[in-house]
Amino acid sequence: MTDSAQFALYSLLLPAGSFLLLAVVAPLRRSGRPAGFISIVFSAAALGWAVRAWLHSSREVFQPPLLWEWIPAEAGPLATVGVLADADSTIMLVLVALVSFLVQVYSLGYLAHEPAQGLGRYYAYQSLFAFSMMGLVLAPNFVQLFIFWELVGLCSYLLIGYWYGKPEAARAAVKAFWTTKAGDVGLLIGIVLLWQRTGTFDFLELLMQVDAGTLPLEGLGLVTFCIYLGAVGKSAQFPLHVWLPDAMEGPTPVSALIHAATMVTAGVYLLKRTDWLFALTPDVLALVGWVGAFTALLAATLACAQSDIKRVLAYSTVSQLGYMMAAIGAGFASAGFLHLLTNGLFKALLFLGAGAVIHAVGSNDIFQMGGLRRAMPQTTIVFLVGALSLAGIPLFGGFFSKDEVLGAVWAGGLTAPFVMLVVTAFLTAFYMFRVVFIAFFGEPASQGHGAHVGAGHSSAAHGGTHLQDPLPTMALPFWLLAIMSVGVGILFTVRHPEHEFAAPGWLTPLVVTVSVGGILLAWLTYHRRVVDAERLAAAFGLVREAALAKFWVDDVFEAMYRGALLAFSRAVGWMDRYLVDGIVNVLSAWTLVLGDRLRRMQSGQPQDYVYGVALGLLLLLVLIQWPR
Amino acid sequence: MPAGMLPVGTSAMPLHAYLTLAATLFAIGLFGVVTRRNTIGILLGIELMLNAVNINLVAFARFNGDPAGMVFTVFTICITVAEVAVGLALVILIFRIRRTVIADHLDLLRG
Amino acid sequence: MTLEPLAFWALSALLVGSALAVVLTKNLFHSVLYLALALTGTAGIFLALEAEFLAAVQLLLYAGGVVTIVVFAIVVTERLVGERITQTSRQIVSGVVVAGGVLIGVLTFIARAPLPATRPPLVADVTQAIGQLLFSRFVLPFELLAVLFLAALLGATYFARPDE
Repeated sequence: MTDSAQFALYSLLLPAGSFLLLAVVAPLRRSGRPAGFISIVFSAAALGWAVRAWLHSSREVFQPPLLWEWIPAEAGPLATVGVLADADSTIMLVLVALVSFLVQVYSLGYLAHEPAQGLGRYYAYQSLFAFSMMGLVLAPNFVQLFIFWELVGLCSYLLIGYWYGKPEAARAAVKAFWTTKAGDVGLLIGIVLLWQRTGTFDFLELLMQVDAGTLPLEGLGLVTFCIYLGAVGKSAQFPLHVWLPDAMEGPTPVSALIHAATMVTAGVYLLKRTDWLFALTPDVLALVGWVGAFTALLAATLACAQSDIKRVLAYSTVSQLGYMMAAIGAGFASAGFLHLLTNGLFKALLFLGAGAVIHAVGSNDIFQMGGLRRAMPQTTIVFLVGALSLAGIPLFGGFFSKDEVLGAVWAGGLTAPFVMLVVTAFLTAFYMFRVVFIAFFGEPASQGHGAHVGAGHSSAAHGGTHLQDPLPTMALPFWLLAIMSVGVGILFTVRHPEHEFAAPGWLTPLVVTVSVGGILLAWLTYHRRVVDAERLAAAFGLVREAALAKFWVDDVFEAMYRGALLAFSRAVGWMDRYLVDGIVNVLSAWTLVLGDRLRRMQSGQPQDYVYGVALGLLLLLVLIQWPR
Repeated sequence: MPAGMLPVGTSAMPLHAYLTLAATLFAIGLFGVVTRRNTIGILLGIELMLNAVNINLVAFARFNGDPAGMVFTVFTICITVAEVAVGLALVILIFRIRRTVIADHLDLLRG
Repeated sequence: MTLEPLAFWALSALLVGSALAVVLTKNLFHSVLYLALALTGTAGIFLALEAEFLAAVQLLLYAGGVVTIVVFAIVVTERLVGERITQTSRQIVSGVVVAGGVLIGVLTFIARAPLPATRPPLVADVTQAIGQLLFSRFVLPFELLAVLFLAALLGATYFARPDE
């Protein structure tokens, strides 16, 4: 029993305890804010244990997992449950615990006007999510991972649909659930196939088999592809990325936690966890890289056309997930993992900042904001930090990891994906600063936009008292995240960790130049207005059209749904109506006719019954005398 | 078959003969039950069949040397008398209600 | 005893003939009279089987009682109908087939069965044996028979009661 695994276990059990407490003790849950405090205290404790586990794990070389037997079978247990605390899982654990804690604190302010009952429910879900995500991160085998994988999916569904009274939210929750479920089916099939050929679910045992070279390679591509499908759904890769933007219907803190920092990165984490398995199937790995890069570019294009601040961030999340996947596809999973961690910090920061803005303005539309710099200086600063981190400017959080990802992709020999990612880097900087210049700088919205006057009056009247920096419960979390983002950025800029690969010298200048170029273009277009936004959009006419239509991916899915599923339903309906019912009707008709015929046997004449008796007697006699 | 060779208390006629006679009477009675239209006629057929059964019982009792069969015959005769009494009462009752003694018309049980 | 086969054949001929007459005669009243003849013949068979008591019972109860009741019934019914009741038969062919089938079946069965050809000597008085059995081994059925008679008496009286 190791310290690190033990600490991780405490960290895992604390949110489970708070969830059970809130779920079982109904009066506590209905009390609202006290429930929130309990959940926060528990998650703070969980964060403490997570940090201890991380500190311990980085010292030790190898930690045997804590395991308990589960699903007993003749030849030893079929599966185990436990805690596998190594360097990767503990740092991820810290990220999850940290963001979860900060988001829960932030939610106290953000959801202050919610009814007490709803707030209690919200915190119960939050605790459940923290527990599930930690269980996923610490899972020592595929079975446990899959169970928690589904649990986080459930939490995601519950939290997206938190405002279930709103039809869009309810629909988005269902869409997220179904879309990720489509990938999960692949994951499940992959896990079972893998078990069929190796006889184990355990990561360490599988790793030993891989090291010993005893793992059968034939058909392994299908297995890894199926596992990758799970990651495609969860980590919003093309073409299953469609659920993530819609998931923004949930409360903003939820988006920050689940749909930016933790759950959506579960797919990346899974691939990182099993990178030795994927290394055996280079074809699938290349597919991961290509799809990742394509997703990154596609999402970045989409982000440029959005006016909803949360949707811009959602697409940027999809795009960054594409980055991570591309690095993994290039064969350097740790680069992708590093980007996962930094992205978790600054993306949560961006969402919390956006949440503060939305809370103050009362709208998601960036064109109804503007000039927030004066009213909300703190928020502006942290949002700027987040944007700079995302854009990959030196000294900020995302700089080094983005550099690392691009270097990995280049070193992995994926040239075309590399080009796509560089374009994406430019677009990333552009769309982020488009938001920054429109929302935080420039003129206040209510003066410039006559069309919005009607709507603007109410929002201005409503926002007039609210347009200020949020209270400490909300400000503290994003300040902490901002400091950490900058801290990590400075740390990595000053003290580069060692590269796993030889990155070319021109890479860093190229990335910085491209990013600065993006920012510059955004500045010229939306702040100095030297470049006309309309003309710029017109220059990319077709792409813009396509982006506004979300590249028709949703339409394709809808058409597929309409075409395939409805046709199938119709066929099934036809079969039920005519075949099944037909058979039943024919049977019932036969029964009626037969009954009618049989009825006539009962003539009511006593003598006919005597015939029956006599025939029975004859039959008996014949039977008795049958030649023996 | 010289009678002198038979021991005292024995008969020349075997059990087969009696049983065959009973079976024949039974068949005739059955024929009567099945074909008669008149309810009283059917009852007469039943009497014949029961009579055949009685012959069987007595023959078996005699040939097996067990008087229990004869006791049964006493019972059968008694029960038959009771049956006839009730049966004829029923016939009269049916006649009163349906105004017929023709069995063909008595089909209240028809399905 | 040498008369026994002769008596048997004669009685058999009488029995079969009168039985056929019972089921074939058109006149219901004649039918009943033939039945009386058949029952008397049966009493003769009982005598041939050395069951004198049963022969007596047969004559008294059956030929006397049953036939009397049936005659009464016929007379009553005819008076109710107001005309002479004629007997007709239906489905004679199927009746012959069924009755013949059963007869052949039973006869085949009898022919194959290993049955005693001779009867054992009488050890005691048969009538006395019947009497003793009736009041020892079969006393319960005997008493039940009394109940049955009572029930039949009441039932028949109830059914045949005059209309109110």
